[in-house]
Amino acid sequence: MESTNFYKRFVVDKSIAEKLNFNPYYCRITSGIDGTVEINGKEFVDLASNNYLGLAGDERVKNAMIEAVKKYGASMCGTPIATGYVEIFKNLEDKLSEFVGLESTTIFPSCYQANCGLFLKIAGKEDLIIVDHYVHASLIEGIKTAGCKIKPFLHNNVNHLKKLLEKSTGYRQVFVVTESVFSTEGSIAPFDVIVELCTRYDALPIIDDSHGIGVIGKTGRGILEEKGIKDFQGIYTASLGKAIANTGGMISGKKEIIEYLRYSCSSLIYSTALPPAILGGIEKVIEIIESEFDSISRKIWRYKTLISERLKDCGFQLENGQAPITSIFCGSFEDTIKMAKRLYEHNILSTPFVPPSVPPNKGRVRLIAGADLKEKDIEKALEAFAAIKVRNINHRTFKVGNYYSQYQQSEY
Amino acid sequence: MNLEEQIISIIKDNIEEKYDITADTDLRNELGLDSFDTMMIINAIEDEFDITIDESDFDNIKIVLDIIQLLQGKYIIVTGVKNGINEFL
Ligand SMILES: Cc1ncc(COP(=O)(O)O)c(C=O)c1O
Repeated sequence: MESTNFYKRFVVDKSIAEKLNFNPYYCRITSGIDGTVEINGKEFVDLASNNYLGLAGDERVKNAMIEAVKKYGASMCGTPIATGYVEIFKNLEDKLSEFVGLESTTIFPSCYQANCGLFLKIAGKEDLIIVDHYVHASLIEGIKTAGCKIKPFLHNNVNHLKKLLEKSTGYRQVFVVTESVFSTEGSIAPFDVIVELCTRYDALPIIDDSHGIGVIGKTGRGILEEKGIKDFQGIYTASLGKAIANTGGMISGKKEIIEYLRYSCSSLIYSTALPPAILGGIEKVIEIIESEFDSISRKIWRYKTLISERLKDCGFQLENGQAPITSIFCGSFEDTIKMAKRLYEHNILSTPFVPPSVPPNKGRVRLIAGADLKEKDIEKALEAFAAIKVRNINHRTFKVGNYYSQYQQSEY
Repeated sequence: MNLEEQIISIIKDNIEEKYDITADTDLRNELGLDSFDTMMIINAIEDEFDITIDESDFDNIKIVLDIIQLLQGKYIIVTGVKNGINEFL
C-alpha cells in the first residue's frame, strides 16, 4: 500500500540512545524552572535552560502576566495586523526599541518565525547575502527563501569577510548576517568590526542577538551596547525566550523597514499575535533588567567562572567562550551523549549538541547556570563534575577525518 | 602551481580547520564538510577562475579529484590557469 511506504520514510535513528540507555531529548519535566527542575520525582540542577537571568519563575513576572490575563484575557485571537495589536503590544514595541536603542520594533510569535520571514521581504535575486558559517538554523532557512546568491564566511573571521566584500560588486544590495553570541560555544562575534566593514563596503548588517539580549552589554542591552555600536543602520533580531524569559521574537531597526514588515511579512501578519500574558511578562522582565542587571549579571558570571574552573581542574576540554556559557568539548556523537548521561546520573540537566547543530566530531555539552540557581545547586554541580572527572587521560593520536592531532583521549 | 595544488589550496583557505588534503581526500567523510563549506569552496573557485559553477554539479563530488575533473571537463579549465586567464588558449 502506498501510505505504508510513505510512513516508512520517517524513521528516527535512536540507536545511540538505545545503546546508552539514555535519551537526552524530550525528557519530561514535572515542575517549573527555579534553579532546579523535577524529572521522575527527582530534583535536577538546571544547567540546560536559557533562563540566564533566572526570571522565568520570578514572582513579579508571574504577577505581571496574571494582571495582563485579568485585563485582556487569554488571547486577542487575532494576528498583530488585526485584533492582536492590543495596547500592551504597542507599548512593548516601544519599550523594546528603547531598550536596544533602535528606532522601531515589531514582535513575532518567535524569533524562528522572525528570521524565517524577514529575508523574503528584504532581499531578492539581485542581492547578495554574506553569512557566518555557523549561524542558527532559522537564519539559514530564512536566507534561502530570498533566492539570492549566498556566500558564507568562515566563522567570526573578519579577514575572510573582508575578502568576500571586496569581491562583491554588481549586486543591488549586499547583506552581512551573523549572530552576537554563538550559543553552542559561547563565542561573541566581532560585530563592531563587521559593522565597520559594512559601512566601508556599503553592505547592510543583520544581527541575531538571541543569546545576547539581557546578557551582554554593560546594562544588559545586548550586542550593540557590548560593542559600543552607536546609530546602528542595520537590522536587529532577537528571541524573547531566553534571558527575556518568555517567548517571542523581535525585529528592530529603522522605522521604514519595520513599518514595511508590519504590513507585508507573512510570518507576522498571518500568525496569531503573542498573547497578553506574554506581553505583560516581557514588559516586567525589561523593567527588572533596567533596575537590577548589575547584581543579576554578577551572579551568572560568578557561576560561570566556578563551573569553568572546576571543569578545567577535572581535565575537561572547554570551548573558549566569552559569554556566560560553559561548553564542554566531547567530540563524537556518542561521547557527547555519554557526557550528558554522566551529568544526568548526577542529577545535572545539560544540553548536548550533536550534528547538524555542530560540525561532525565537534559534539559539545553546554551548561548555562542562570541567576535562579542557588549556591547549593552550584555546589552540587561542582561536586558532580569532580565525581565524573575525566578518567584514564592519556595522550593518544586522535583522528578527525584525515587530520591527526594530539588530543587528550578521554573516557567519561 | 598546478590545478591540483590550486584546488587544494582553495579548499584549505575555505574550511574552518587545518587538514592535510590530497587529491584523494573525501570531502564529506574525511573533512566533514557541510553545505555551507561546499558553498564557500564553490564561491572561491568561481572567484579564482572567473567562472560560474552550477551548484548541482557538486552533488556528485566525493573527493578532491572529482572537483579537478569537473573543472577540467565541464568548465575546460586546465593546469596552469590563473585568475581566469588560460595560458594555453
Ligand atoms: C540564535 C538564535 N536565533 C533564533 C532562535 C529561535 O528563537 P525562538 O525560540 O524565539 O524561536 C534561537 C533559539 O534557539 C537562537 O539561538
